[in-house]
Amino acid sequence: MTTNQNDAEPFVLFELAGTTYGVRSRFVQQMEMVEHITPVPNAAPAVEGVVLARGQVIPALNLRVRFGFERVPFDLRSRLMVVNKGGRTLGLIVDTAREFLRIPDAAVEPPPEAITGLSGKYLEGIATIKDRMILVLNLDEVIDIGEQQPASADD
Amino acid sequence: MSDPNPADGGEFFAQFLDDYFAECDEHLTLVRRHLLALEGEVGRPGVDPSLLDELFRSFHTLKGISGMVGLGEAEQLAHHMESYLRALRQKGATLSQEGAEALIEGTTVLEQVIAAFRKKGAAPGIDKTVARLEAVVPETSSAPRRPETVEAAEDDGATETERGRKPSQASGAARRPEDTRTWRFEFAPTPELSERGVNVNSVRARLLEIGELLQATPHVKEQGRIVFEFVVATGVEESAFAGWHEENLTYSLVEEATPENTSRSQPSPTGAASGSWADNDSAPTATPAASLLAPSNVVRVDLARLDELMRLIGGLVTSRARLEESLKQLKRSVVPAVWRGLQETSQAMARQLRDLREGVMRVRMVQVGEIFERMKFVVRDLSRESGKEIKLDLRGQETEIDKFLVERMTDPLLHLVRNAVSHGLEKVEERIALGKPPEGTITLRAGASGDNVLIEIADDGRGIDEERIAERARALGLIAGDVRPDEALLLKLICAPGFSTRDEADRVSGRGVGMDVVGNTVKELGGTMTLATEKHRGTRFTIELPLTLAIADALIASVGDQRFAFPQTVVREIIEVEASAVKVLENNEIVSYRGGVLPLLRLARLFGLDETTPRAFHVFVIGSGASAVGLAVDRAIGQREIVVRGLNDPLVKVSGVAGATDLGDGRVVLILDVAALKSSTPNVRPLKQR
Repeated sequence: MTTNQNDAEPFVLFELAGTTYGVRSRFVQQMEMVEHITPVPNAAPAVEGVVLARGQVIPALNLRVRFGFERVPFDLRSRLMVVNKGGRTLGLIVDTAREFLRIPDAAVEPPPEAITGLSGKYLEGIATIKDRMILVLNLDEVIDIGEQQPASADD
Repeated sequence: MSDPNPADGGEFFAQFLDDYFAECDEHLTLVRRHLLALEGEVGRPGVDPSLLDELFRSFHTLKGISGMVGLGEAEQLAHHMESYLRALRQKGATLSQEGAEALIEGTTVLEQVIAAFRKKGAAPGIDKTVARLEAVVPETSSAPRRPETVEAAEDDGATETERGRKPSQASGAARRPEDTRTWRFEFAPTPELSERGVNVNSVRARLLEIGELLQATPHVKEQGRIVFEFVVATGVEESAFAGWHEENLTYSLVEEATPENTSRSQPSPTGAASGSWADNDSAPTATPAASLLAPSNVVRVDLARLDELMRLIGGLVTSRARLEESLKQLKRSVVPAVWRGLQETSQAMARQLRDLREGVMRVRMVQVGEIFERMKFVVRDLSRESGKEIKLDLRGQETEIDKFLVERMTDPLLHLVRNAVSHGLEKVEERIALGKPPEGTITLRAGASGDNVLIEIADDGRGIDEERIAERARALGLIAGDVRPDEALLLKLICAPGFSTRDEADRVSGRGVGMDVVGNTVKELGGTMTLATEKHRGTRFTIELPLTLAIADALIASVGDQRFAFPQTVVREIIEVEASAVKVLENNEIVSYRGGVLPLLRLARLFGLDETTPRAFHVFVIGSGASAVGLAVDRAIGQREIVVRGLNDPLVKVSGVAGATDLGDGRVVLILDVAALKSSTPNVRPLKQR
């Protein structure tokens, strides 16, 4: 990735609990309505279940739960964003996603110290485009749940 | 045209090598089988000629094809073994113990050489083995040809063929040897030529028509360009092939009787894989091409292509399921006669799909004997290393098993056999003291059981020392102090990662994969493993594997609004149980079943789903006898053919779920891992509260 000003990469923007996030569109395979999620017993709390996407069975991760926001019922605006990263394909459930935006690399700044806590870990940086603040997702961290959480963790 | 695409050349070469390795595998398998049979002939005058013939043929082919890929070490080894076999064939020679061992060592090293070549690793040294092989060839038997054996190992030696060919037993009966001249052809493949059907194989076939192929060697030129060099002896006039240069096939005359001019240092002829004994001189060249180049009815297929085919069939199965769903909805809106017609067509398609799937599955099947043969070799070595006397009893070698399963199971089986030798079987004195036959027996048995394949590894040794395992498990904190492990728990313990009752790594079994890998592999393949062990009587591991992985028959059940798929092969039967018939015993629910009791596991509870309280519900009976359990669901919905998809993402890899499938309505249905669910008895706890 160069730092050339003109080198703007397309991002898919999505909303989550009133905040706009961005994910590099080259990692996004498709967008789908959220329907027919099959719950998977004993999976981590943020794992909503599995869904069928283009003939493939993939896990669906509820980003609200993942980021510690409250769970809300899915509606017509909810989207399943299917991403490919690190050889894995999985769906991220977001409140809504409707926008593409080119963001120059230089516009992405590291997240400020103040939010480098738990939620800061999921961020690659923050981009400010025309007074709009966009949190750029660190996809690797988001989809890495590490060791499978034991069943007792969410009893 | 004069500048072949390097990538294309590389592909040719890769294809070429794939064929080579496949052929090596085949012949090495044959060689192993025959060598073991040959061992029985040690010391007997007049070795079974058919056995020698078979071995000779295999080594001859191995020699030929190894030469073609430029693997000199393999070629030399095969050549020396061939020489020894030829000597054995003569004068009712006797096979000495040393001779048999030299052949076995030669084969082992040959295998290593080929394996190293395949992995592009460093090849083991062959000098010692070659010397050993040379030493066993009796002087007299090879007297007239003695120099060839020696020279073969040298770089500038005249080749056996050249010598053999000169005294005039020409290849084609029609040609007089005096007319025969040796030509060197060079063929540079290009994509354009390939499109016209001109490739290394067609060129080779063409050259074979005009004469005898003495040598074929691919050369990798600059930028990965590939050129194949063929040395051909032919009586045909130059005019016959003068036009070929247009197809990138150039030629030049090689001077007679100076094989050094070919600029090769091949110790032996290549290309011709006759396997004919004929007389000493003409053996390698008299009948070119029998097994290597002649057409055969066998097609070699890359497993990946069959996988792709299976995947496509899987797609068809899903589409048909979808069609059937749509048909159901259509039933009320069309005329019954029309609907019946549609329904019949759909049913016919289902049958045809099943046949198609079975057809492809059959293509993938190989005999399990292939792995078993390998075990013979291993046991033979282990027997020597450990000083234990071992008889290997093989049963059901003809059982067919998916090629993929064979590959995956080879190492685990190897490990179990090693374990049986080092941990199971006692030393000879110990066996005698116990009144057992001094020779320990390891039994490998394979058999089909419905849609499953059973593999059993049993020994008649000392049995697993439960107390020692338990002690170690307690020390590791795996079990509580008062638990006395039964066989199922014992198996679980020894399969736990890092669990080994030996303090120092045992020379024989403490290498390669461990029991945890064995357990995991079986599980990954969708199989189960059980253990039976008895003190002084022995130990038996029984592995049950599904015949195929991609498509399976399943029984669908519902719990609340969720559906689950049970692999049909694990379900013994489905019974209906009245809620009032359930008895509670401490924490467990039981129902009476076939004159005994059946512990119940409620799927809803196991999976933390909302529990309903129907008046009656269905129970899937899993397992038999004392280990049977009943998995309670709301209702059994029916039987379906499902396409099994793995759930491999770490986010959804959970205990109790083996995979997922799609029944055609766009919803994912989880396939249960019944073995894992069963083992969650009796302390039932919710896996997840959603």
